[in-house]
Amino acid sequence: MNSYLTSITPDSISGILFALEGVSGSVVLLNGPMGCRSFHSSTSERQLIRPYEFDPLDYGMKWYFGQNRIPSTYLDSGDYIYGGREKLIEALKFINQNVRHNLVAIVNTPGAALIGDDLVGIARTVFGEKKVVTVETPGYSLDLCAGYETGVFALLDALNPPKLPVVKKTVNLLGLSIIQRYFKGDLMELERLLSLCGIEINCALCVGSTAEEINNISTAELNLVVRPEYGYSTGMRLNKQYETPYHICDSAPIGFAATEQFIREICHTLDCDPELAIDDINRARADAYIHVSHINAGYGLPKGVRVAVEGTYSEIYGYFKFLTEYLGMLPHSASVLCPDADIMKEKYEEQMQTYGLSDVINRDFFTDRKSELVFASGMTISQLKDTGMQFVGVENALPSLGYVDVIPKTHLGVKGSLQIVEQVLNALIF
Amino acid sequence: MELAIYGKGGIGKSTIAANLSAALSSHGRQILQIGCDPKHDSTRLLLSGRSPRTVLDYMRVTNPPEYSIDAILEIGYGGVGCVEAGGPEPGVGCAGRGIISMFELLSLFGLKDKYDITLYDVLGDVVCGGFAVPIRREYADTIFIITSGEYMALYAANNILRGIRNYDGDDSRVAGIILNRRGLVGESERASRFADAVGLPLVADIPRSEIFAQAEARNMTLTEFEPESQEANIFIDLAKGLVNGISKFPANPLTDEDLERTILGTETSIQITMGAFVESESTSQIIMGTNGICESTEACFKAENAENTDNKTENPVNSIDLSSTNRYFSKNVMRGEPLTSCAFNGALAISTQIRDAVVLAHAPKSCVYISYNSMSSTGRRQLFERGSLLPSAVTPNLQATDMDESEMVFGGMGKLTDKIEEIKASQPKAIIVVSACPPAIIGDDIDKMRDLSAMNTPIFTLRTDGNMSGDYTQGVLMSYMELARQIIRPDVKPEDNVVNILFERPISRNTLENYEMIESYLDQMGVEVNCRFLCDTKYDNLANFKRASLNILANHDFTSEMLKEFFIKEYDSKFFDLKLPVGFHETEDWLRSIGEIFGKESIAEDIIAKNKIRYDKEVSLLNKSMKGLRLMVVTYSHDLDWLLGAAFDAGMEIAKLCILYSSTNDGFQTRFPVNFEIEENYNVGNRSRDIERTKPDILLTNYTFEPSGPLRLADRLPMSPISGFFTGLDMLNRWEGLLAMNLKGEWEKDEQLFNQYYA
Repeated sequence: MNSYLTSITPDSISGILFALEGVSGSVVLLNGPMGCRSFHSSTSERQLIRPYEFDPLDYGMKWYFGQNRIPSTYLDSGDYIYGGREKLIEALKFINQNVRHNLVAIVNTPGAALIGDDLVGIARTVFGEKKVVTVETPGYSLDLCAGYETGVFALLDALNPPKLPVVKKTVNLLGLSIIQRYFKGDLMELERLLSLCGIEINCALCVGSTAEEINNISTAELNLVVRPEYGYSTGMRLNKQYETPYHICDSAPIGFAATEQFIREICHTLDCDPELAIDDINRARADAYIHVSHINAGYGLPKGVRVAVEGTYSEIYGYFKFLTEYLGMLPHSASVLCPDADIMKEKYEEQMQTYGLSDVINRDFFTDRKSELVFASGMTISQLKDTGMQFVGVENALPSLGYVDVIPKTHLGVKGSLQIVEQVLNALIF
Repeated sequence: MELAIYGKGGIGKSTIAANLSAALSSHGRQILQIGCDPKHDSTRLLLSGRSPRTVLDYMRVTNPPEYSIDAILEIGYGGVGCVEAGGPEPGVGCAGRGIISMFELLSLFGLKDKYDITLYDVLGDVVCGGFAVPIRREYADTIFIITSGEYMALYAANNILRGIRNYDGDDSRVAGIILNRRGLVGESERASRFADAVGLPLVADIPRSEIFAQAEARNMTLTEFEPESQEANIFIDLAKGLVNGISKFPANPLTDEDLERTILGTETSIQITMGAFVESESTSQIIMGTNGICESTEACFKAENAENTDNKTENPVNSIDLSSTNRYFSKNVMRGEPLTSCAFNGALAISTQIRDAVVLAHAPKSCVYISYNSMSSTGRRQLFERGSLLPSAVTPNLQATDMDESEMVFGGMGKLTDKIEEIKASQPKAIIVVSACPPAIIGDDIDKMRDLSAMNTPIFTLRTDGNMSGDYTQGVLMSYMELARQIIRPDVKPEDNVVNILFERPISRNTLENYEMIESYLDQMGVEVNCRFLCDTKYDNLANFKRASLNILANHDFTSEMLKEFFIKEYDSKFFDLKLPVGFHETEDWLRSIGEIFGKESIAEDIIAKNKIRYDKEVSLLNKSMKGLRLMVVTYSHDLDWLLGAAFDAGMEIAKLCILYSSTNDGFQTRFPVNFEIEENYNVGNRSRDIERTKPDILLTNYTFEPSGPLRLADRLPMSPISGFFTGLDMLNRWEGLLAMNLKGEWEKDEQLFNQYYA
């Protein structure tokens, strides 16, 4: 008998924490029990490289508990009754005096949110008028993406960046998060491609940008919403607040064609020359061609291989489009993450209908086990392995199986397209 | 009898409760009054104005093992036991949660069993699950609602009925309405119309009278102040009725629209004609109630419902029931230390080890995801590294209610019930419900789910309440003991050559490897492993726990000792003295002892002899290079003999052992003579100074640390070393190789580059 969760995904509090942890120089204090922090702490530490603040053997019992990121107030049962004010003040004073930071954020856990501690007032007693980000309600079982944008909005509310003169040919990147498996490689690849077009990144929101860069967010000529589920609302908000236009990518730029479309659209909007980037794409297509053709000549693959994808609607759309239209693979099933973030749902469903594969939309990812290749998190891949399903997994999300990426990888842009081709070719079952 | 008194804030509940307690005591009953209001003045009139130490203040500063009922129980007028919950200042914390915590503590003492009648005086409206605790079915069996004739008081009364209905359905626990008049025009009519409309009797009509103020000014109840007064007699009569037995009715709240019509009198045809109200402000009458059922107080009470006052337990009131699961505290909890992780997480990690049961987490998604991550990380890594699948790690049988905002406001019991019914359809061997913090705060009572047990699918509950019951280890303990109590069959007879292995660590990289090694040794001796308690086992193996004639602890620490004590006490279990062995001498001793117990000495000696040849040979070689080298260890581990044995055999010396505080263990132990420096509860701030002073060649820590100084090597000490003959020796071989080539790795020099680029 097997009865296990097939929808084990992070929810809104993780989205909030990783959004705020993505601000360079931030210290995010989790107001809640210690049990809520260790996953977030270790994930943040691994994902975003920063100098060590502490020897882990120090602070074994308070706030940091042997880990470098996301201190916590370690609330216990008494605090749920009386409130966590004293512990919050003690932790904030410690952070203020001992931890290097240029931004402090306080986030309630789901339990702590039911107590109703006045985070703003408590922060003021320690930091005075200094800007502190506070999130009193982290949401309960809400989507990760919704949480991410809650964190971003709280950040923008606290910093309240001024409206500044626009600098031509600069963009902000929205919708990237350190919870995304390859965020660093994604960022580097987007920076490289945009640079080929003469476009500079002004602020990569919540993926390493500093509070100072976020303060200058209104100077960008365009807000680029790379992953719509994570950045659409932010794009709209910044448009309303600063009149900065935003561009929502067809999907995240997964695959050669999507990357080319992405480049051409951005260059058109910002009046830039796309040709160097297009050359780069074409050169990569040539490289990919010879490898794919060798495999195809020998085995007839990867054409016709049944493939499953786990991701947000835009990710599923992007992967399927590339895998189907470029590599000739057959979409078989999909597992939608953050289904409430459905801005791209219609587009994905139309895509499947266009392919004549409407069945894919409702096919159960976990019980219909005929896919030969699965793009998913390490957790999902291991679960599917346990069912006895014969397939090869390609990781596209956290948590991972354990592979440590020293060279930043990406599934976006030109390098991402090549990475996907490489992973697919090495994953084929001959 | 357990009597709850509810009503809108400021309506006079505490005054009425205290007067009723005093009156009940005058009927020769032992009364306990529990004030469930943060303002903690419920028992003031019984205590001559004294204010007892509140339970929540006490719990806040007292560690569980030191709990004493004497600190929170005061005896007032008429021998009434007085307890006040207390709670946070207005506007902070969660007073409702406080009520839950208080009830949990009082249940440890079995306090209410010592009294004939327990009277709960409960704050205002039923605003959240916490304040609803007294009306949960396992507490109050009788409920009075106090109201005046004001609209808001009647509105609150109706809300209380809604709360009761949520728990009771059509069951009958409401004994009636007590009208505490404010002296308003027409309030008796309004109250009466309301009572009739909700189908309840008005069991007492308390007039507005100066005598209450006079008694309160002297910090007395009327029974004490003016026992012959008419007002005092209201309570005496009410008490008499309660003692003799009282009729009870179901809660039938009105809709808001009906309530408004009823109170404002727009539809009055059914009310006024039901009885005659006595309007005098200075006299009181017991008046008729609903549908003409009662003509007087006497008529409202049923004699056959008298409480059996002899039915009390013999346990002393000031001791905690030692058979309670809560008797066993983790080190964190016992000492009031910061809680490591949470009990919810620990309980999930252990209960999911019963592979054919389904564990249902009553929690928001985030709690489950965080726990699932920690449970599955080892499994994922094993799959990646070794291609091996550990089903209990990668696909624990875990389901969740994914509580959302709506459940936080309105309670999550409905969703929990639905989920249980859904799981039951798959017919698991059992369903184990575990609770996180949020359902505990809002007052969801997961224990009620046991009522949904089916013939082939029993339902067990673990009220970990996130970290409210304690840390990770407390959750582990709760799982072990609660599941053992509920699942192990007491009538199973022990069999020869059958053992259980207890207290393996499911979330550890070496657990499977260690088990397979031990199982192979046992197999060679013809000994069968029945139950791995609780690690990748099945319901029936646990149910047949008593098949084993011997129990082997995999690990020894503070918690395992508690577990051992539990099994000896509850099941008269026999335990093997040694934990699963790590290191040569430990493995040697373990095999000899097991061989002796099962009469398989020669098999044990054969295994030892084969491994000793290799060990002696390697030690002899190591002795040449390692002899005289000095070792310093900074560690959380409290058992290093596996390492010390190999080090001493190879001629090494100990510069210093620095034992850090551990949340799971206490007291460093060694079988070697301590002729070296050792410091427990080590302060890591002294590390560099000690290195300078003791001049070790090799430094071992649980986290690698590269200090400046004369060290030749700094290495990592595993937190959970692998079992077997060669664990210590393998470490020494590693050091020998590193020292021989003076291998450090150029990368170590690049720290300054890292700081340069990532500052």
